[in-house]
Amino acid sequence: MKTETAPEAPAASPAEPRPPARVLPVWANPRLGLLIVIAALVVLFSSLTPAFLDPRLTLAPLQADISVYVVVGLAQLAVLSLGHMNMAVGRMAALSTFAMGLVYDRLGVPLLVGLLVGLAVGAGIGALAGLLIAKTGVNSFVVTLALDFGLLGLVTILYTWATGGVSFAVQPSGLSALRFDTFADYCTGEVCGPRIPLVVPIAVAAALGVGLLFRHARLGREILMTGSNTVAAELSGIPTHRRIVAAHAVSGLLAALAGFLLAANNGAFSANIGESFLLPSFLAPVLGGTLLAGGAVSVLGTALGATLTQVIYKGLNLLQFSLEELKLYIGLVLLAALSLDRLRAVIAERRAVSTS
Amino acid sequence: MRSLVRTNEFTLAVIAALGFAALAVATDFNLLTAGTLDAFLRFLALPIVIGLAQMVVLAVGQMNLSVGVLTGFCAVASGWLMIDAGLPAPIAVLAALALGATVGLVNGLLVIFTRINGFIVTLATMTILEGLRYGVNGTGTYQGYSPGLREFGQASLAGVPVVFLLAVAIAVAVALFFRRTVPGRHLLASGGNPFAARLSGISNDRALVLAHTLSGLLAGFAAVIVVAAFGSVNASIGDDLLLPSFAAPIIGGVALAGGMISVTGTVLAAFLVRLVDVSQSQFDINRRWVDLIIGAVVLGAVLLGQFRDKLSGGQR
Repeated sequence: MKTETAPEAPAASPAEPRPPARVLPVWANPRLGLLIVIAALVVLFSSLTPAFLDPRLTLAPLQADISVYVVVGLAQLAVLSLGHMNMAVGRMAALSTFAMGLVYDRLGVPLLVGLLVGLAVGAGIGALAGLLIAKTGVNSFVVTLALDFGLLGLVTILYTWATGGVSFAVQPSGLSALRFDTFADYCTGEVCGPRIPLVVPIAVAAALGVGLLFRHARLGREILMTGSNTVAAELSGIPTHRRIVAAHAVSGLLAALAGFLLAANNGAFSANIGESFLLPSFLAPVLGGTLLAGGAVSVLGTALGATLTQVIYKGLNLLQFSLEELKLYIGLVLLAALSLDRLRAVIAERRAVSTS
Repeated sequence: MRSLVRTNEFTLAVIAALGFAALAVATDFNLLTAGTLDAFLRFLALPIVIGLAQMVVLAVGQMNLSVGVLTGFCAVASGWLMIDAGLPAPIAVLAALALGATVGLVNGLLVIFTRINGFIVTLATMTILEGLRYGVNGTGTYQGYSPGLREFGQASLAGVPVVFLLAVAIAVAVALFFRRTVPGRHLLASGGNPFAARLSGISNDRALVLAHTLSGLLAGFAAVIVVAAFGSVNASIGDDLLLPSFAAPIIGGVALAGGMISVTGTVLAAFLVRLVDVSQSQFDINRRWVDLIIGAVVLGAVLLGQFRDKLSGGQR
């Protein structure tokens, strides 16, 4: 689905000696499993209801949804790399989109400027969370949970103050293009683009950026080392406090971007943006094989995990399942996927042991 | 005496007493009239039990994200048993408790057999339970069930609501379980240091399963309180319980890492949160300010605890 290379999870922090890395067989790769499941579901849904392959009504909105939730998953991934959690991911998005809506509404700035303001707000609030965690040593779960409570109140109060309601009426120019247009609407002569919504490249760029950060950038590698073994990282001269702040700032920034993408898809900057982010933010990375323990991430896995959940939502939705029923199946899929993943890892490990 | 004054529970008790007194004065002692006080305590029962349900899994260093939705599911299921299946109230109550404990047991078994983080397992079961909770009766509401059960929910004993007394009794039972019984001590030992616990012959797996089962059982009790005190149940019950379930134990000084609990702290913290809630309705404050305040209180409590630890660490 996505084009970027998979940043392979570092097997262990370089600080601790390990036995020679076991190379797991190809079939034990969770990303491959996800790809197969996605393909099987697409075949299943399109045979059950031909509407699933309708490019305008199904596939284009599906890609737009996937784009949002890939970025949501990446926002969580950024702190999972540390072994932290961001329970406020949805509310950070809400606060950032409020800031975007406010500058569009009051200052009439162009689309890009407002986006940058929102990203800065997101990064700022994320950095604040990171700072609290790093300075006090309090569990990230508690800090971001408390922050979520606080922002939940703040966002509604702010919207009531600024708009007297729950959303901004403003439509910055270019927003409706992001919402409705696909590349098929832009032609040079006879050649038109594929029917891909304009928001997709933004998500792909975000995934590429995060992938490069954790694979090649010094900052990303040091964040992963901090997540893998904080003490060892500290002893190796890594400023772990600053890396914790950085990872949370990236998480806030990506949450803000996801909020912007959702606002573009909905066509409105409203207070309920981010309400549905928390569960998918964990689903995507965890399905993709990222552990909660920290020290290892998979960007490609996250993209595939987000794709899988959105394909299930869309497919069951077309088959007239209600939203609540969908949840039942999403939960079951998550449990099944995780159990299978565990089983696969155990079998692969046993084989590796018995052959060596 | 000095050691008592230094405890987190003492601080909380003082804050709770001061807050209560301040609110009583600010409302011209309206808070102390029978009707207001009765409502105050009646709706304190649910936060206490839900906080304890979260606390027992925190004791072993786990989390139970499904606790709120499980409460809703058990409540709707018992409503179904009474209205649609026509069973008597006692059976519906027992069924709600059994259902809660069973789901908790499944959570625990999933955690030990798959070795997946409890956070993720309960995230998944929470999602499944949301679907099931809705599946029982769709968007419909069950009401007009067993008059006896609803009278129990509205009854008072010497001016104190019976459901509140039930919640206090449950809290005492949980406290005794952790303080006096062997499985309770094992749970804390396993949560505090799994490795040492294993060397002492304690099964960590059994502790995990027991903690999750107890958590589910307490969610079942919370469901019974909802069914009795609210007088009607629908599929939205439990949605707003997840965050309070964490707020109470965390403000109460329970460590997320496991091994350390405080029943008194959890109960007092639930009291504090209820106090904020009541002031909101008394002074007609925007509902959203309450969330903001509770968020600040949770963070403040945690920072205070950290600060205290640092101080006592320095003195040693």
